[in-house]
Amino acid sequence: MHGMTRTERVYAPFEADERTMLTAWLEFHRATLAMKCEGLTDDQLRLRSVTPSLLSLLGLVRHMAEVENNWFRFWLAGDGPVARYDGDEDFSVDGADVDEAFEYWRQECANAREILASFDSLDEVGPGQTVDTGFSVRWVLVHMIEEYARHNGHADLLRESIDGEQGN
Amino acid sequence: MTVDRVEPPLGADERTMLLAWLDYHRATLELKCDGLTDDQLRQRAVAASDLSLLGLVRHLGSAEYLWFRFWLAGETPNNPYDGDIAFEIDDADVAETFAFWRGECAHAREVVATFASLDDVGAGQQRGAGISLRYTLVHMIEEYARHNGHADLLREAIDGTTGD
Repeated sequence: MHGMTRTERVYAPFEADERTMLTAWLEFHRATLAMKCEGLTDDQLRLRSVTPSLLSLLGLVRHMAEVENNWFRFWLAGDGPVARYDGDEDFSVDGADVDEAFEYWRQECANAREILASFDSLDEVGPGQTVDTGFSVRWVLVHMIEEYARHNGHADLLRESIDGEQGN
Repeated sequence: MTVDRVEPPLGADERTMLLAWLDYHRATLELKCDGLTDDQLRQRAVAASDLSLLGLVRHLGSAEYLWFRFWLAGETPNNPYDGDIAFEIDDADVAETFAFWRGECAHAREVVATFASLDDVGAGQQRGAGISLRYTLVHMIEEYARHNGHADLLREAIDGTTGD
């Protein structure tokens, strides 16, 4: 269940090799999104709390599951397309199942960790691509950090508008 | 004015990739502020929050100062907008705020160019107990990106403009 455990969030080390540093920051932002959702009811998670935006915390979780799926499973592992929601449907949360969304997101995060571990170098690209045309593992990792961070910026204001809760 | 924003390369060495993403997010903040009046830039457009676009610009100028000028270059701390004062913008001068931010971005680029390796730590710090250039660059990307998420919702609330 999404709301039953305190999220463990680990700060990135000040000094580390490239892969360790990027992975640590990505995990920090995955945990941040979980924290921003923590302790809320299903209705609060579905709330479009910042007018006039259509964003909601649940929509962000569904979107990030699709993003993990797209960049790791589809582009890097060459498996798919296996997206679950059509187009912008990830943000259409009125009838969405909260447990299903969190389970999908956590599963895609777990798949992504396995796919990342299968690459020896961050210079590599997914199967069927070339280094001139394909997304490198390095690009995907940095993109995922900034994608999560940007959406966590949305999550900050959504959460503050729901119950006044702030924080990094 | 027109904001020039360059998409990061799909494949590149580590330094090129990180600097490209950092510049992408600096340009994104510029884009989110583009075409607004001074009053719109000062507007606390999301009811529950004290944030404004001008406050974000001043805060990120302060972040550039802290991480590049202070921690990496080891210059004496006299950051004019350290802490929450960055967000107190009711009487802030818009031109001065943007000049401060752009000046710190330019200085940060100069500081980065003095580092031979991303493993290196700032002046006055020691390996094993210091903040590396690698940490600083990844942190600044996620710092900008997160605040650009705030900027997205502020801008949409000001005039309905959305977009990456």
